[in-house]
Amino acid sequence: MLIGIDVGGTFTDGVLFNGRDIVKTIKQPTDNDNLQRVILDVLDDLLAAVPAQASVERIVLSTTLVTNLLATGRGERTALILIPGYGLPHSAYHLSPDTFFLRGAIDFRGREIEALAKDEVISLAKHLIQLGIKRAAVAGKFSNRNRSHEDQVAHLLKQEYPDLEVTLSCDISNRLNFPRRAATTYFTAMVSPEWQHFVNEVEKALQQKGLKAEVHILKADGGTLPLPVSRKYPCETIFSGPAASTMGALALTMDQQNSLVIDVGGTTSDLALLVEGVPLHASKGARLMGQYTHVDAVSVRSIAIGGDSPLTFAEGELKILPERHGPAACFGGETATVTDAFNYRLALNQGDINRSREYLQQIADLANMKLEDLCDSIITQVVTTLTETTREMFKEWENEPAYKVWEIVHRRHFTLDRVVGIGAAAYCIIPRVAESLGVQPFIHRYSDVANALGAAVARPTLSVYLHLDTERSTCAIEPGGVVEKRSDISKFQLEDARKLAVDYLYAMGKARGMDDYLDDYKVFLEEQFNMIRGWSRTGRIFDVGVQIAPGLIQAYQGVEQ
Amino acid sequence: MKPTGLLFFPAFDWAISPTHPEREERLLYTRDQLFEEGIMDLPGIKEYKPRLAEPIDIAAVHFSVPDLDAHLLEAHFVAAGSTLVIADAFMKGEIKNGFAIIRPPGHHAMSVTHGNRGFCNINNEAIMIEYLRYHYGLKKIAVIDTDVHHGDGTQEIYWDDPDVLYISFHQDGRTLYPGSGFVDEAGGPLAYGTTINVPLMPKTTDEGIHYVIDNLVLPLLEEFKPDLVINSAGQDNHYTDPLADMRFTAQGYATLNHKLAPDIAVLEGGYSVETALPYINMGIIMAMAGLDYSNLREPDYARENFKESPRNLELIKRIVEVQLDRFRTRQEEIEKNRRSKGEFFSEYRRIFYDTDYIHEEQQVRLRNCPHCCGFRMIESSAQQRNGKYYRVMCISVPINCCPACREQAISHYQDLTRSSRYDYVYLQDRIERQYRVCQPDLEREDIIK
Repeated sequence: MLIGIDVGGTFTDGVLFNGRDIVKTIKQPTDNDNLQRVILDVLDDLLAAVPAQASVERIVLSTTLVTNLLATGRGERTALILIPGYGLPHSAYHLSPDTFFLRGAIDFRGREIEALAKDEVISLAKHLIQLGIKRAAVAGKFSNRNRSHEDQVAHLLKQEYPDLEVTLSCDISNRLNFPRRAATTYFTAMVSPEWQHFVNEVEKALQQKGLKAEVHILKADGGTLPLPVSRKYPCETIFSGPAASTMGALALTMDQQNSLVIDVGGTTSDLALLVEGVPLHASKGARLMGQYTHVDAVSVRSIAIGGDSPLTFAEGELKILPERHGPAACFGGETATVTDAFNYRLALNQGDINRSREYLQQIADLANMKLEDLCDSIITQVVTTLTETTREMFKEWENEPAYKVWEIVHRRHFTLDRVVGIGAAAYCIIPRVAESLGVQPFIHRYSDVANALGAAVARPTLSVYLHLDTERSTCAIEPGGVVEKRSDISKFQLEDARKLAVDYLYAMGKARGMDDYLDDYKVFLEEQFNMIRGWSRTGRIFDVGVQIAPGLIQAYQGVEQ
Repeated sequence: MKPTGLLFFPAFDWAISPTHPEREERLLYTRDQLFEEGIMDLPGIKEYKPRLAEPIDIAAVHFSVPDLDAHLLEAHFVAAGSTLVIADAFMKGEIKNGFAIIRPPGHHAMSVTHGNRGFCNINNEAIMIEYLRYHYGLKKIAVIDTDVHHGDGTQEIYWDDPDVLYISFHQDGRTLYPGSGFVDEAGGPLAYGTTINVPLMPKTTDEGIHYVIDNLVLPLLEEFKPDLVINSAGQDNHYTDPLADMRFTAQGYATLNHKLAPDIAVLEGGYSVETALPYINMGIIMAMAGLDYSNLREPDYARENFKESPRNLELIKRIVEVQLDRFRTRQEEIEKNRRSKGEFFSEYRRIFYDTDYIHEEQQVRLRNCPHCCGFRMIESSAQQRNGKYYRVMCISVPINCCPACREQAISHYQDLTRSSRYDYVYLQDRIERQYRVCQPDLEREDIIK
């Protein structure tokens, strides 16, 4: 049996899944001050429904813990130590109130341009002791091509200040983009203590219950990460909510079509795209606290309209308000909402349709409008906003930068096959949105718990990115922060580079228990450059990326409609 | 504040040949530097995606003999299309200025194209200029060519156009390809003084180049009052360029763009792929985006190595003086030329294509019109790389042409389509945007769309 739990801003959903059936679903209000309590409560309720002879094989948690910690300023005070070398001014990096700059520079080939000033590092260590800062994130420009400066800084800092917790950017991400690497490392260091605590608590609770299930955390990219591995990469767990609904949509549809996924929540709707059955990722990585990071994330657009968004007539205008006042009138609420407008006008018979009419009529009287016109105007507003946002998303995807002639000649074009509705209010709203986009709607009887189902059946993902410079005999690998000299790559061809990347993928994947999925790897990046100096070739540069893309676990064969 | 538009198109799958300076590797380290700096993530930068230029956009500038397909690869359409993306973004007010870091380059490509010259097949800037003039009604354009090589292609295309001010500073033509761009190359008889060349001695430094910017380029822009300023942004004046011999720095390039404040910059040459391009491109972007670039420098930069010799500075001052005067007295010179006898000015020239080893011969005739800058008829012949010999006539009606000239140009075209003197006869009518190709022997006419 499988368990999926998705902690949302308002509600936490859980499902217990077996074979092709959802055995039990739970919905509980989220207590943002005690997330692990909520998770464990929901888990207990689900476990209670497990038959005596059955066992739970897999538990996947999607939690807002990291996002909450950062958003509420509860991350630990962390020094951000940057080695930016030459380029943008230091004023371009305003991430932390405790930012320190060190001299030293590395270039794009990993060559040292300027040595580290050791005395500077030592006096910085003393300064941190004085300030009482216990954690430091260290990031150097091009440390992904040569990590020696970061390593030296860590060594010197620890020598002077042994209790300092140091996180290095090359360990967190090996990809190009120094500000994103610095931000990701900084946030990782800030939330690390709380995250370790959370993992400890979950492990303890499972042990007490005698559960042998493998536990995963859902990542922003729609894949999962084994709970122990998450200790090193807590930031990967951000924005797992939209990832959960997108994977839920995939779990309900189970095919390779182009889908628009709209998760209609209480006060917001999240839009995402499945391109041939694969969630579309944000090209610039997840944005956290206004900073781009190296966290791969499903590309999501949020708009401030949900099923419970209240309607009002003020200053001569009919408006949809952003803040929730409670449930829709038809479900016992005290205000007419978006759901009521759809419910009444389209005769959907949701809850008490008379209450929908009654509360809508109050606004219609204020606005001096006919009830039908009022509903039509709201429906048009909602549908227009959603369809316009959708078109913007298509366009943005089609206009993403490209760096090869082939990519420009073979222009991207997105043809939508259908709209998948997720969330309780989807039933009312999605059919009209699909109609206006000229495609079929897809609503499943489990649409309202698709997020938790998506978490339960999402498979683990892993991307391995390799950068080889045969002239300098250097090899850099992500993840893991490997930047090493290798004498055996001088005669490498593209096939050899690809094989090396695949070998790493298998080694890392096996260590993460991903054996079942490794043969399904895909090459997502393959570039080779001849280095010409004078008129002859002196080496080659390879960039290769291989991955286990987001998808569904093998045990999942769909769910009864 | 509007962002700076950036279109980065390194063409990682295109090269002239595997070991040629124009190869896949050219912008690799620039990619590394820009991406590592995270410059595309800055709120002041907006990144754009290239598109393909249409054949009609290219036909507005070039007579490609015999047709566009003969010399153009998809890469050329993408590079030219990229400049149009930036031009549209600028004219629609989405960006305050824009930089197209693109390859292949274009500034050696002339009106008539028999093949590749100086790594160029089509002239990206000229294609953008004609696009802007037709679609957005811009009239006066200034092109500042900051490549180390003289932009003989751009100069030739606008040689007879008084509304395009072409200023180029470059390493002296006696010491470097293409061997032109001397002080007295100053424009055709009816567009005299709006072509300004400043040949510089090898090893000229930041100081010398900035003297030209401060004392010639900026004053001329002030007086010319263009609707748009374009930096034809080659990067091979750099002290590490392997093909040239100047001593310009990344700081020098950044400061130049800060002073010049171009509306649009387009990458041209620059072949020091590791030690110059990553830093110069950063510098230009930062200067255009209004970012502080004082922390930018090359790894081996040492200020004391870049002193200008007094003798060279003296020479530069003299050239600047001559060119200022030439520009300011250009109207008198043009009036004098107008009074000369004969309906047509005529000129014979030979053009060498270094990359493709082609020798082209041209007879150029320009109508001496009392009302406008005239129309051009270029008779061209060359044996192309594949051994085929072509003799063609190219008739060009510029966008600022008077109705009488246009009428006469069209009637010349019609007459020639009935004779068998030429393999191909072309009509380039920029006013009505009609581009015709006729093969008189086959009695066939095509319209480029």
